[in-house]
Amino acid sequence: MNKKRKMFIRMIVASLVRRRSRMIVALLAIIVGATILSGLGLIYFDVPRQMSSQFRSYGANIIIAPESDGDVSYEKLQKSITYFPSNELEGYTPYRYENSKIHNMPVTLAGTDLGSVLKTSPYWHIDGELPAKNGEALIGAKLAESLGISKGESVSTVNTFEITGEMESIDIPDYEKYTDPETGETHCDHTLDLTISGILETGGSEEEYIYISLEDVEYLTLSKRGYDIVEVSVASIKDKLSEYTEKISKDIDGIKAKLVKRVTASESSVLSKLQALVFIVTAVVLVLTMICVATTMAAVIAERRREIGLRKALGAFNSSIVGQFMGEGLLLGAVGGILGSVLGFLFAQYVSQHVFSSPITFRPLLIPITIVASVIVTGTACLMPIKSAVEVDPALVLKGE
Amino acid sequence: MFFRMVKGTFIRQKKKLLMIALTVALGASIATAMLNVMLDVGDKINEELKTYGSNITVVPQSSAVISKLYDTEEEDDDAQTEYIKEEKVGELLTIFWANNITDFAPETDTTVTLNNSEVGLVGTWFNHKLEFKKKGSVYTRDTGVINLRSWWDVESGTMLNEQAVSGDKYAMIGRELAEEKNIKAGDIITVSRDGRNEELEIIGVFESGDDDDNMIYTTLSVVQRLTDTVGYIKKIEVSAITSPEDELAIKAAKNPSLLSGDEYDLWYCTAYVSSICFQIQEAIPEASASAIRQIADSEGKILEKTELLMSLITFLSLIGATLGISNLVTSGVMERSQELALLKAVGAKNGQITFLVLTEIIFTSILGTIAGYFLGYGFAQIIGHSVFSSGVEMSGMVAFIVSVLIIFVTLIGSIPAIRMLLRLRPSEVLHGGH
Repeated sequence: MNKKRKMFIRMIVASLVRRRSRMIVALLAIIVGATILSGLGLIYFDVPRQMSSQFRSYGANIIIAPESDGDVSYEKLQKSITYFPSNELEGYTPYRYENSKIHNMPVTLAGTDLGSVLKTSPYWHIDGELPAKNGEALIGAKLAESLGISKGESVSTVNTFEITGEMESIDIPDYEKYTDPETGETHCDHTLDLTISGILETGGSEEEYIYISLEDVEYLTLSKRGYDIVEVSVASIKDKLSEYTEKISKDIDGIKAKLVKRVTASESSVLSKLQALVFIVTAVVLVLTMICVATTMAAVIAERRREIGLRKALGAFNSSIVGQFMGEGLLLGAVGGILGSVLGFLFAQYVSQHVFSSPITFRPLLIPITIVASVIVTGTACLMPIKSAVEVDPALVLKGE
Repeated sequence: MFFRMVKGTFIRQKKKLLMIALTVALGASIATAMLNVMLDVGDKINEELKTYGSNITVVPQSSAVISKLYDTEEEDDDAQTEYIKEEKVGELLTIFWANNITDFAPETDTTVTLNNSEVGLVGTWFNHKLEFKKKGSVYTRDTGVINLRSWWDVESGTMLNEQAVSGDKYAMIGRELAEEKNIKAGDIITVSRDGRNEELEIIGVFESGDDDDNMIYTTLSVVQRLTDTVGYIKKIEVSAITSPEDELAIKAAKNPSLLSGDEYDLWYCTAYVSSICFQIQEAIPEASASAIRQIADSEGKILEKTELLMSLITFLSLIGATLGISNLVTSGVMERSQELALLKAVGAKNGQITFLVLTEIIFTSILGTIAGYFLGYGFAQIIGHSVFSSGVEMSGMVAFIVSVLIIFVTLIGSIPAIRMLLRLRPSEVLHGGH
């Protein structure tokens, strides 16, 4: 028994080595098939994750707002941020809106975290720079045009307060008290000087605001409070996003998290289409590659009818011939499957780095699947031609008909 | 004689040549399907991305004023706000890239009094039948916010269908406002502004997930009557299929007049968002069109990624297809060693044999390619219909690329086989030894 097995292995190996060039050709076909299976498989599973971070260029997909009147306090914001897994959270930006005046024209100031604003609004086109420090401001293009302000200029925003008894005690240097001649009320103007570091172009309503740091807003309005709205950008699928928002709205009193429907609804529709596309493309390519592998194997075996005839003439049983050829086929399938899954991973990695500039998620399960699949395909492909080859009449084949 | 030999081969070696033709056909079909899908995927994804709504807004040239900033300032603001003539909206469809404009809707918004409080009212087209003139003939086209607000969920009632109702006194109300005011679908509300009243029937309640949840949407003519601006509109939202921005587009966006003649032509004839905006301004001189960066930029990015992804996948499948073909061609030729050795034995020259073999192979692969092209057409349509529910457009260029590729691959595949054939010793082969 042991001897027989040894002989069997020796025959397979010898046959593969002797017929090197033909076997390499067959192996190549299997490798390409396995590469396509494992490569496209990896891409198929990774596309939603990779694409959904691309979709974040649409900006925030969740907003956190106060439940009714009021604001989102710093503590509540910090607490709600913990509900998002850190590997999915792209960024969040709080906004606090205040009315003020520039050149006696009413404007809206948006106090925000200027360091993180581009994470939730990556589509902002800034002519100039983002404000780097307090006292600098980013102005919307429309507002800049109507106020006649250009980049690099300095402007002053002025907030007017009515002086009440309580406030008169506050003593801040840039207070200028004056009395309105009509109403007789005492007012004071609190001024904040700003240097325009850049002009913001978005084509949307953002162009009508001035963006400054939260500290500047606090200084100008002499009041410290929470945020009017917080924009959050999370790279995740729609179902998970709604789960997060429901939890936050339920767990934390006084604030509610909402999906930006326009972004999330459309994103999931595009994403599912894209994944379906990769899936069906993989399926079509795979079926065709399998047929190619099968025809190659069929051709390789058909070529060896003479060898089969010779062995039969020497007294080999059909079963041992089938065993030998199947052994060869399965060995080729296994080797091709292993090499193919490595190459497929490299291909998927290349695609991922090239297209999405981030590494692909490795899925170990795909390796055994690829190997098993290529063994099965090669085995099935060998079965038919081996069967017909076994049925040959040794005399006819050896004579050369 | 030569043709008789070729013909003879086709009849005698039917099975082997059929095998080669079949492989070529399979390879050609992968190549055809993948290349067509790759070339069309941009347009397809672009259409899907249209669900994000409009990517261009058109406003009157000089209304770059702070209209939205202060609700309280709205009264004064209206006096200054300039308008676009409603009849000009059709001009949008006369521009060079008119076919890329998928939807558009004019808008006029205002604030009205409803049950003693101020609410926002937007007048627009839902699914308006627009008549427009192009090159002397009159066309009609349906357009409106039905497609521009594809993310709306109608919670109760239905979406307003302008063409199915008589008159214009209908409205859709945002969810939050409806809850606050306790308004349901089917209710009649009265809105008033400056002493003018309109009674509107609520057709449906929608959820939009943004500020629109606090608004009422109604037909354009209602708002025009309320604001006394019949025949005028404040804004047009346009959704257009655009090409991803590249260096030329960025250069042009700064100032189109700085481009050289050739660059200008190329820019003008490419569906960049900036060139479409430029053409809209040419068609409606009193308007200014600008890209909504959030939509336009992201579309470009996602398109670019998808196209790159598809082209790499296509590349991989092309490698698979070509390897399969050249494999089969090699083994197909090698199998015929006996016949060819006989030819050699009776005195055929190497050149003649090579020519004979190549003719046969190329003829076979041409037949295979033709069959494969149509098979590939079928695959492309299957992909198109199952993923995007619309057929994939076939490009003539693909037929050309595929045929060149296949002929090339077949020739490469024949080289090792032919080299081996030329080394054959007739006596050995014919005797039967290998």
